[in-house]
Amino acid sequence: MSFMDTLKAQRHNVRDYGMYIAFVAIVVFFTVATKGLFLTSRNIGNLVNATSYIAVLAVGMTLVIVIRHIDLSVGYLAGTLGAVAAISLKYWGVPVVPTILMVLALGIVAGLVTGFLVAQMRIPAFVATLAGWLFYQGLLQWVTRGTGTIVIDNEIFNALGNGFIPDIDIGILPDVHKITLLLGLLAIVAFVVSEVTNRRKTMSYHFEVLPMNMFILKLAFVSAVIAGVSWIFAGYQGLSWAAVILIFVVLIYSYITTKTVVGRHIYAVGGNPESAQLNGISVKKITFLVFGSMGLLTAVSGILYSSWLRSATTIAGRGMELDAIAAAFVGGAAVAGGVGKVTGSILGALVMASLTNGMNLMGADISVQYMVRAFVLAGAVIFDVATRKATD
Amino acid sequence: MRSIKKTFAAVQALKGVDLVLHRGEVLGLVGDNAAGKSTLMKVLSGAYIPDEGEILIEGENAHLTDPLHARRLGIEMVYQDLALANNLDITANVFLGREAVSAKLGPFSIMDSRRMEQEAQRLLERLKIDIPSVRQLVERLSGGQRQAVAIARATAFDSKVIIMDEPTAALSVAAISKVLDLVRELKAQGASIIIISHRLEDIYSVSDRLMVMRQGRKVRDARITESIDDFRERVVAYMIGARDDFASIEAG
Repeated sequence: MSFMDTLKAQRHNVRDYGMYIAFVAIVVFFTVATKGLFLTSRNIGNLVNATSYIAVLAVGMTLVIVIRHIDLSVGYLAGTLGAVAAISLKYWGVPVVPTILMVLALGIVAGLVTGFLVAQMRIPAFVATLAGWLFYQGLLQWVTRGTGTIVIDNEIFNALGNGFIPDIDIGILPDVHKITLLLGLLAIVAFVVSEVTNRRKTMSYHFEVLPMNMFILKLAFVSAVIAGVSWIFAGYQGLSWAAVILIFVVLIYSYITTKTVVGRHIYAVGGNPESAQLNGISVKKITFLVFGSMGLLTAVSGILYSSWLRSATTIAGRGMELDAIAAAFVGGAAVAGGVGKVTGSILGALVMASLTNGMNLMGADISVQYMVRAFVLAGAVIFDVATRKATD
Repeated sequence: MRSIKKTFAAVQALKGVDLVLHRGEVLGLVGDNAAGKSTLMKVLSGAYIPDEGEILIEGENAHLTDPLHARRLGIEMVYQDLALANNLDITANVFLGREAVSAKLGPFSIMDSRRMEQEAQRLLERLKIDIPSVRQLVERLSGGQRQAVAIARATAFDSKVIIMDEPTAALSVAAISKVLDLVRELKAQGASIIIISHRLEDIYSVSDRLMVMRQGRKVRDARITESIDDFRERVVAYMIGARDDFASIEAG
């Protein structure tokens, strides 16, 4: 097979690659339009911090959408959990670590309650979580009614949303963040090693693999992207804690969804619930699990958000659920269920955040921003539907 | 299966049906709508628990509690709507609910993807199913190929009895002959098969024996020896109630 044939054979993957290409196009456009301001280390660092709490929600939301449900309650739940963290730190005097563990546990409980309503009581998720949306909005106002906005003065907690990983002084490269570069390098090595061993194992089973030239191209491309991103981060204050948390969430969730039995079962339930049930997969159990995980990630999101703001406000989390849903759909999740990747939802969140950030830098009016994002959301779904049809 | 009875509310769906299936035999099961054939098969595949009667597998009494239990005992059902997950690939569908596990990581079982792919590939080869890659998503397959995958799944785990509910409905002529070839191939490899179909010529071409049901009873159970024309005429006579081999026995 010639190189061009191989490229052509990859055509049916256009759906997967389309998003990456669109993202690169957006980045290039804003970089040019803002005369380089968009791609500065400082801006990208801020952009990632301001996206992380949506991106984390989008990961959980994607799985909810995969099993054909929706969760409208997560915005105010995140706000409420953030307020609980603030109250715990400020008024109860609970240290950071127990506070975080408690909030994560509360998130899981809240998620399981939603799961109970959907899986056990058989209330449509839209209705159940609309009730949750009302409830947590009320709960948030109730817990903050005496205090109003709660300012968080715990520096460790605030570092999660604002801080950066430490660096070492080795005498060279004084203006760049050495640890960030080192981590980038380690990531490249880990990626290449895992791809090469994976390829070898697959070949030993006599299964098809990418041709050598394509494989090398892929390795080179991904390595270059990791190197580039590391370099950008290293140019300001290095990798932020929020970015580290986001990377952890993505790695763990990608692994679970693609490599484990329960991940496979989540997609099976989304693709055909009757079939899953007939094959011994408990749809109920998977529903509980997915909403539980949504609750956990909502807690992470609430922590990141309140930490980023250094405070818990009475309207924290408003509209976050819709941003997360938009990110999931831009990232390739399908309303019909069964389709949607963790990496896609992160990319979707980055696309939407880049639009806002880029247009802000360009001084675009807020009204225009909303409309542009509307077109991107609709366009992404149209593209998705069209490519799906074409490959049928 | 011995004198199986099943009643739904006021409707007696099965009025004491006997069914014997020998090893390596293909049994055709026909009957008009609501004759009780699907109910009987759901009893055999564990989806329904009968009110009366017993199921013997190799002489041993089996109290089937659910489809999974039946499957563990080697009874597999190929459902008419196939019960495939279209968003997953062939391998994932073949191993759905029975994934091969390479390691455990806390609460998570890590799948052995390569082993599953390899076994799925071997399975397709063994059954002479012509699909280039087990990594194909099921949504990209034709109707006949989907049927083949559903049947392959039913045979993947040393099944003793394979029940096929209308395997040739809604298929093109070319696809039908491939599915029937697959049934013959399975029989040649020693599987026992029950095939439900409205297409009498399909039943005729692959079955050793025919059973006709009418209004919750068995009205005919005999080896197929006649010509296709006689066969068709006779089956219709049993289906509409003009003939009944068991009427006198039960009355007496």
